[in-house]
Amino acid sequence: MLPFLGRRLLQLIPTLFFVSVIIFGLQQLLPGDPALIMAGEDRDPEVIAQIRAQYRLDQPIPVQYVYWMKGVLSGDLGESMRIKKPVLDLVLEKLPVTAQLAGMAILIALVIGVGAGIVSAVYKDTWLDYGANIFALWGISTPNFWLGILLIFLFSVQLGWLPASGYVRPSEDLRASLASTIMPAFVLGNAIAAVLMRHTRGAMLQVLSSDYVRTARAKGLLERSVVLKHAMRNALTPVITLGALELGTLLSGAVLTEQIFTVPGFGKLIVDAVFNRDYAVVQGVVLVTATAYITLNLLADIAYMLANPRLRS
Amino acid sequence: MTEPLLAVDDLRVAFAGDDGRTTLAVDGVGFALQRGRTLGIVGESGCGKSVTSLSIMGLLPKQSARVSGSVMFEGTDLLRAADRTLRDLRGDRLAMIFQEPMTSLNPSYTVGDQIAEAVIRHRGASPREARAHAIEMLRHVRIPSPEQRVDDYPHHLSGGMRQRAMIAMALACDPQLLIADEPTTALDVTIQAQILDLMRRLRAETGTAIILITHDLGVVAELCDDIVVMYAGQVVERAPVAALFAQPQHPYTVGLLGSIPRLDQRRDRLAAIDGTVPNMTAPPPGCRFARRCPFADERCRREAPPPVEVAAGHMSRCWRAPLEHLVQ
Ligand SMILES: Nc1ncnc2c1ncn2[C@@H]1O[C@H](COP(=O)(O)OP(=O)(O)OP(=O)(O)O)[C@@H](O)[C@H]1O
Ligand code: SF4
Ligand SMILES: [Mg+2]
Repeated sequence: MLPFLGRRLLQLIPTLFFVSVIIFGLQQLLPGDPALIMAGEDRDPEVIAQIRAQYRLDQPIPVQYVYWMKGVLSGDLGESMRIKKPVLDLVLEKLPVTAQLAGMAILIALVIGVGAGIVSAVYKDTWLDYGANIFALWGISTPNFWLGILLIFLFSVQLGWLPASGYVRPSEDLRASLASTIMPAFVLGNAIAAVLMRHTRGAMLQVLSSDYVRTARAKGLLERSVVLKHAMRNALTPVITLGALELGTLLSGAVLTEQIFTVPGFGKLIVDAVFNRDYAVVQGVVLVTATAYITLNLLADIAYMLANPRLRS
Repeated sequence: MTEPLLAVDDLRVAFAGDDGRTTLAVDGVGFALQRGRTLGIVGESGCGKSVTSLSIMGLLPKQSARVSGSVMFEGTDLLRAADRTLRDLRGDRLAMIFQEPMTSLNPSYTVGDQIAEAVIRHRGASPREARAHAIEMLRHVRIPSPEQRVDDYPHHLSGGMRQRAMIAMALACDPQLLIADEPTTALDVTIQAQILDLMRRLRAETGTAIILITHDLGVVAELCDDIVVMYAGQVVERAPVAALFAQPQHPYTVGLLGSIPRLDQRRDRLAAIDGTVPNMTAPPPGCRFARRCPFADERCRREAPPPVEVAAGHMSRCWRAPLEHLVQ
């Protein structure tokens, strides 16, 4: 277990290095010159030159990378050219918003996806199973923006139950905070729930026909214990790993969803930054996102190991 | 004779296939088992031995299996009993061990947990009592240092040890009937002998009635009181072991025993008989064994032979029984 953890943590270093190079390289491909954008209408050559010098845009790209990396390693993600604030502050300001959204989305996805998967496997070929499968198909094939607009129309415009946009911190008002995030979280979680449901159903069907489930039934256990104890534990371990792969969907989905619901999170931060060629912000946000993604995957692997006694020792 | 512990009568099991055709896996099987006795069931692969035992346990898939007939166990018809009743009996009065020790234990729970579960379910034991009982059961099946093994996961144990753990689990609530479906087939020869030895000793200690399904006629000769020979979903011969070995009354049994059946000589496998088993989605009209039977004639191919009692307690499903005049 411990050597495994050590190895995984060591693997993080080259992975993150690689990610940072790609982030840095890719955005050099973005059309448009940030200095020109910042210099405004006049495009005074002197101002442009000064901006270039200040943000080291006049240096070769590898040199720029080294400066950036040095800053990152000492906890300095640079400064937003547009808002003139440290990127780290922006990140720390927006991270909790997206984390809350993502956390709620995962919870919704797990409850709906795993629940529907188990039900449809246990009641295979009944209307419950068909219903769950139709739901999954719908969930996978419904675009986020469309579902988002639909929800806003129904719950905000027609029924007036939930705010159509905006965000309230949980520390300010928990109820209002949940009300402001439940729709975007549902939109985000819905697609993942559909995928989890498919995985769970498949894994459960396989496990339910296994020899050890037959043994559990031969012992006279109640069907509840057979399903929830003997089958579910074994069925859900692979689902953990597959679910972790869906975290990518979650993070990319957050970008669009935050736009639709005008939630001031990471997604909105990065979209604004890309449009304004605010390099430091883009780099910082993507780096933090990538780190979060890799860390969550590592946590999923650990959970998988803990759930699996053959790997634990 | 007293009321038998288990009486299976005219048991039929048909599986509905995905293509709409049904397979008749078990077709009119019947036998009885007295308390404390051991009944062997032998027959080629696919003849319906496992399906028969699973239908006694009520463990066949409900969606695809159509079961009829009756299975009387201690006054209850298991085929008509409510699921609740069956669940209360399974693991308590009735227990089963399976052919595949490697996959029959749940990889995610310790063997101790899996044994204790049955005790908690049926005896209402506390987790602590159940654990102590699990250790006791592991000792009972001669697993060394049971206090440590109780916390082992199945993957820590060898095949033989797992099968011992399965036996411990099955016997945890002191059942009246133990069905052992080829308990040693998946194991090495030396381990097989140890497990059989264990079963023999446990039977002497507990007095549990056993249905032992096996390919090994030597095992039947050593362990069983009565024997049922199955072919293509039917019982073709049923007799006390000594009678069956001395005077087999069905050509299929004669084939299984080979030319000279000998009680002292163990055969690992049934003797090979030429030909193949009939297709059970469309069984032939006459005797199921006709295509492979050296004594088959017109009538055999046309009409199915009824079961006949050739001697007291000795049944054969053959037009030519008794066979004395055929086998020298
Ligand atoms: N769940 C099922 N669905 C459909 N057909 C089945 C099912 N289980 C068993 N069968 C069929 O029933 C027949 C009898 O199978 P069974 O497992 O009882 O054979 P067996 O005598 O135990 O053989 P073996 O010695 O190989 O264990 C086989 O033809 C098999 O294909
Ligand atoms: S009935 Fe005929 S074919 Fe069938 S076993 Fe007897 S002799 Fe052979
Ligand atoms: Mg079998």
